[in-house]
Amino acid sequence: MMSFDPKAATRTPPKVVTFRIKRYDPTTGKEWWQDYKVETYRGMTVLDALLKIKEEIDHTIVLRYSCRMGVCGSCGMIINGMPRLACQTQIAEVATEANPIVTVEPLKNHPVIRDLLTDFTTFFEKHKKVKPYTIRKDIEEREKGDFEYEMTPEEHYNIYEYTLCISCGLCYSACPVVASTDRFLGPQALAYMWRYVADPRDEAWKERLELIDTDEGPFSCHYAASCSAVCPKMVDPAAAIQRLRSALLKYRLGMYKKERIAQKKVVEVKPNPKPLPPEAQPVPGADPWKKNEEPVNIPVDELIA
Amino acid sequence: MMGSGSKKLLLQYITAILLIFLLTWHLVIRVPALRGVSTFAETLASDKVYHEITAYGALLLLFAYTVLLHAFNGLRNILLEWTDGKYNALITGTIIVLFFIFAGLATYTVVGITPPPASG
Amino acid sequence: MAEKLKEKENRPGWIASINPWVLKIKNNPERVAFVLHRITGLLMALIIMAHIYVTGTPARVGWDAWAEEIAKAHGITAVTLYFFFFAGIAWYHGLNGIRLLLVEFFGVCIGKPEKPKPPYLAPSLKACQRKLLYLVFILWAILWAATGYILFAS
Ligand code: SF4
Ligand code: FES
Repeated sequence: MMSFDPKAATRTPPKVVTFRIKRYDPTTGKEWWQDYKVETYRGMTVLDALLKIKEEIDHTIVLRYSCRMGVCGSCGMIINGMPRLACQTQIAEVATEANPIVTVEPLKNHPVIRDLLTDFTTFFEKHKKVKPYTIRKDIEEREKGDFEYEMTPEEHYNIYEYTLCISCGLCYSACPVVASTDRFLGPQALAYMWRYVADPRDEAWKERLELIDTDEGPFSCHYAASCSAVCPKMVDPAAAIQRLRSALLKYRLGMYKKERIAQKKVVEVKPNPKPLPPEAQPVPGADPWKKNEEPVNIPVDELIA
Repeated sequence: MMGSGSKKLLLQYITAILLIFLLTWHLVIRVPALRGVSTFAETLASDKVYHEITAYGALLLLFAYTVLLHAFNGLRNILLEWTDGKYNALITGTIIVLFFIFAGLATYTVVGITPPPASG
Repeated sequence: MAEKLKEKENRPGWIASINPWVLKIKNNPERVAFVLHRITGLLMALIIMAHIYVTGTPARVGWDAWAEEIAKAHGITAVTLYFFFFAGIAWYHGLNGIRLLLVEFFGVCIGKPEKPKPPYLAPSLKACQRKLLYLVFILWAILWAATGYILFAS
């Protein structure tokens, strides 16, 4: 079983799927489940279906979305019991012919404003708490901009994974520790913290480690690893927290020191950027307007290999 | 100064590492074949237990204290997490009292021991 | 007129660390392991108190009471069953505890950060901690069965 099935988009979902949606009315405080039947098509995502319901069946459903392509991180919800991005979840992945029912709930651990819409205020406050920006001792040097900080490709790959976070809050919603204590910073914020502690361009690793050595920090994590299992961007917050905790313990025992702090390297600014290479042209032979009659054959196996 | 985060878990990890060895020892001496007897109950016979308590008293006490630290510190962490910081003082107080009661009991088990009447 | 709107607190609470199926997350046996670790830990804390109390019998009450207690440790009795469950709980907590020490304390066995590519499976979920987890379950079954054999064979 994998959390993301790249072949799902090539399958056809059941013809009619029932969406069982958890509704919440903030004026009365009432909660209820409501069923909607939706006719599907190949490639339809859960977000498509929800928008279809909103357009054609019930305008009162409230949800948040923006990019519809798994980039903005607004459309997180609990689909069939697992936190997922609605726009990245194919109906074919969650509904089967035997059980053509998809349940949709708002994310847990975030307060619900209405229906599927959740309040991210606390989540972003916690994100802010870890100081998610590079800190240099010399503040003025950042203003100049005629240099870059040296970094090897290996150092880059050490943190690249963590920089992909889109702040969708799925990991936060899956965390069993956040479920019982509101003070825990949560997987997203702590993964961000590790990203800066490990980043050679950041100089404030000591201050950062001191900052999170509280009940809010990585010590409240018990490695249920649900965060890594639900993250749509492969950020792996669970591993980041373990690295952070291990570094912090070693630091307390006097055995941790940041390997290297990147130094400035002056670069010359090139006046004329190069033109686009030939690969950056549209794929020949693919006609987007014909895709419904003859579906484009996506070479999934080749892409994964 | 150590933060509250590191302290509570460092204690947990260090006792855990100790416990791996102490618990192995504690369980191995209950295996009949290794004690030259045929049943589990015979390893608990009075003379054997008396010998253990007198010969390995210090080790037994170390084991008891480590286990109690690990158990009560863990219990405290769980309760603090579940109550979300509402009853911190109450929980910590109860845990400390419980720790001393059971540590005292364990100490008395070793210190207050008298030889069994006859070997049996 | 603006109505008073109230947000709904949506945190499941402590039940999430006792019931691994509050959420049905795929590919996540670590969560089951965590829940088991917590339940066995809580039970152990209780049983250890009883254990220390009972093993104090020779000093507290006397050797006669001890011998009476031990006489009940033959075959399948309340005493051996108690030891059997105690051992089962301790084996799991100990074995999984070793795995957690490696992962949490030493920060090993969680894979290396890698370049994301489909199917976007987080490195820590396929690292050696996962294999250790299965090993924990296998060893748990074996050791528990062996304990049962020793306890009930006589
Ligand atoms: S770490 Fe992953 S799941 Fe968590 S907020 Fe970032 S992208 Fe979402
Ligand atoms: S709508 Fe942007 S991530 Fe789903």
